Amino acid sequence: MTRNNTIVALIILVIFGFSLWTILPIDSSRLGREGLRLGLDLVGGVNLVYQADFSENATSADKGDAMDRAVVTIQKRIDKYGVTEPIIQQLGEDRIMVQLPGFTDIEAAKGLVEQTGFLEFREAEIDDQGKPVYFSDYVAQDQLHFIDTGETANRIFALPSSGTSGEPRTIAILSQSGATMTLIDAVGNTVDNVTSLSQYGGAISWVIARGDSGVPLTGELLESAEPVLSQEIAAKPEVSLKWNAEGSIIFDQIAKRLYSPGSSYEPQYLLGIFLDNGLLSAPRINSPQFGGSAVITGNFTVDEADELANLLNSGSLPMPLKKPPLFQEKISATLGANFIHLSWIAGLIGVLLVMGFMIAYYRLPGLVASIALVIYSTVLLAIFKLWPVTLSLAGLGGFIVSIGIAVDANVLIFERMKEEFRMGRSMGAAIEAGFNRAWSAIRDSNITTFIACIILYWLGSTAMASAAVQGFAITLFIGAVISMFTAITVTRTFLRLFIGRGMADKPWLYTVGGGKK
Amino acid sequence: MTYNIIGKRFWFFLVSAVLIAVSIISLATYGLKPGIEFSSGSILTVQFDTQVDYDQFQQEITALGYPDAIVQRSGENRFLIRTGELTDSEKQGIEAALTTRFGQVTEAQFNSVSPMVAAETTRNASIAVAIAMIGMLLYVTWAFRRMPSPFRWGTCFVIAMLHDLLVTVGIFSLLGGLLGWEINLMFITGLLAIVGVSLDNTIVVFDRMRENMIRGVSANFEIVANNSQIETLGRSLNTSLTILITTLALLLFVGASIQNFVVTFLIGLVAGTFDSVFVAPGLLVVWNKGEWGRFIPFRRPSLEKA
Repeated sequence: MTRNNTIVALIILVIFGFSLWTILPIDSSRLGREGLRLGLDLVGGVNLVYQADFSENATSADKGDAMDRAVVTIQKRIDKYGVTEPIIQQLGEDRIMVQLPGFTDIEAAKGLVEQTGFLEFREAEIDDQGKPVYFSDYVAQDQLHFIDTGETANRIFALPSSGTSGEPRTIAILSQSGATMTLIDAVGNTVDNVTSLSQYGGAISWVIARGDSGVPLTGELLESAEPVLSQEIAAKPEVSLKWNAEGSIIFDQIAKRLYSPGSSYEPQYLLGIFLDNGLLSAPRINSPQFGGSAVITGNFTVDEADELANLLNSGSLPMPLKKPPLFQEKISATLGANFIHLSWIAGLIGVLLVMGFMIAYYRLPGLVASIALVIYSTVLLAIFKLWPVTLSLAGLGGFIVSIGIAVDANVLIFERMKEEFRMGRSMGAAIEAGFNRAWSAIRDSNITTFIACIILYWLGSTAMASAAVQGFAITLFIGAVISMFTAITVTRTFLRLFIGRGMADKPWLYTVGGGKK
Repeated sequence: MTYNIIGKRFWFFLVSAVLIAVSIISLATYGLKPGIEFSSGSILTVQFDTQVDYDQFQQEITALGYPDAIVQRSGENRFLIRTGELTDSEKQGIEAALTTRFGQVTEAQFNSVSPMVAAETTRNASIAVAIAMIGMLLYVTWAFRRMPSPFRWGTCFVIAMLHDLLVTVGIFSLLGGLLGWEINLMFITGLLAIVGVSLDNTIVVFDRMRENMIRGVSANFEIVANNSQIETLGRSLNTSLTILITTLALLLFVGASIQNFVVTFLIGLVAGTFDSVFVAPGLLVVWNKGEWGRFIPFRRPSLEKA
């Protein structure tokens, strides 16, 4: 027993140490997570809920599929604007919630979501020696001008995924209007000094891919895209494309031009696929003729193939969104900064007061419970940070209740311990009995709490008050689970440690003086 | 036996009845003032750089074609305008007109909820509460399956929870009627928190009754209940006290923005401790002893001697 107890105590200390490392300092970067994720009501931002406008005969499978695509599309659009930790999620069957923390312009936010995405296909710009043009060639110019003067539409400078950079990435866009050339970076800011981007010299200059008649190949000509498995023995995920009649002809004309037998992966043989100026993928053309369908192969995982197919399909959203949004909210951040600070103080003082009360009332067990409470708060914060759980005002409410639950378990156990001691048991036996007897009440009250949390979470996933109600349910649920561990395992382990140190025969430490015995 | 709590059960029922009556009357008279989350329409909060007079501001809003709009001052040179659902262009129109009249204006906050959502929120909340009740009823009935007629335990458990919710909502409605408080998400959060605490309190008392039954403390259910109430009283008060401490700390330091949460929670905490400790076991005793007749005046059977 003693040896096992020591091991448990060590495990507890390891968990505690790990949690401390995770949360200190609170805005540090740990395991890929930075700081706590705060809800919109704390940091300010924009919250929009859209109703998808499906035709009446859409089946629920169609809807599910379209909703997935819509969520991915909106996510992509927003990612390009560098909003930190946006939340884009499906609500109920046919609604989409978009939360943009820190975003203050509600009109711009709506514009971002409601825009129809533009899917187009591009090829590398070729100079007069037949060589592909790179961004470095533009950086080297004294005066910006298009290198292939025959093509006057804009250039997109983007790195394909094959390089060391990982994800394909758009660096800048160069456009001409009259005699003036404008270079903007990926988020839309004008770049005055080209050399500031010179580290991206390896980006390819992409021009619009056109058929022989000059018609550009765009998403409108794409009939569908779907993830499939290749027809090989070791089947690999790929994306299959289907063009409409006009698209089939234009695509073949382009393929004939870009195809080069036996060539390697070089820019002039690639077809770049762009959504809203962002490069999605740059497959190599492997055949001079496709006859209306093609597959994009590569080292895709199933998920990646799914996502690419979704994006190809969703150059525009798969269905229109009803305007104005069902629910729109802009929360000013002014409430935020100070509020968060005060909440921390309030939380800290609340916990300290509770600890003071527990120690004054229960003495040694109270002290142990206070230690358990510190471990509880630390582990909880660590989970909030790593999960990450979005902390909102409602989440704060859940946190308070869960502290109550954590303390409650200890109060139950200690009251029980005193009773058992008064009935004539030794302190050691009374402690064990206290834990055993209190267990059924702790278990039942936690299970009813879990039932409540699960149902609230479900409510949150369908209704409008979603974020708040879900936040409450999640924090309370996690809190109740952790409290079962800290209030029972942690307190019991430490109490046993103390008893092993000869503190069992000093009843005053347990506020049960001999009088009543 | 030092105290006889259960013997006074009808006094507790009386207190309960008064609370419930007050709640129902208040709900019928004042109702609940729905905040933006529960009604449709738009709320626009604007902030001016310069001094703006309330009356002039209201005149301007009326002149813009929103005579029904509710205008409130919500800070220094900050006003809240509540209207029907605004379209983007209507909103921009208001902001442009205000800029022309009063100078630089910043949109501090904007909410807009379509009528469909408002109806749905209420409906879904009711469904969730109903499902939660059934879930608890089933679980408690199962957890107390070794007791005679476990279904009664489950029912009394759920009644205690409903009682708590009703009284909390009712008293809040009274405050709403007197002080003009609206129900908002903070209020809902407070209610949810109350459910959590109320559940715990009731379970603890019931658990002790279950244990005392199994241990065979007495053949008289009334004595079993009374012992259990006394034995768990210390725990219930201590727990409520610790929760009270954290909540008050929150109120003192965070202040008015969470006032609704704290007030709801405190009302519910008191009501919940009361009904869990005194009412729910009493109901169970009444049911087990078949004393329903005593609720009908003038037909009182003689009180059984414990």
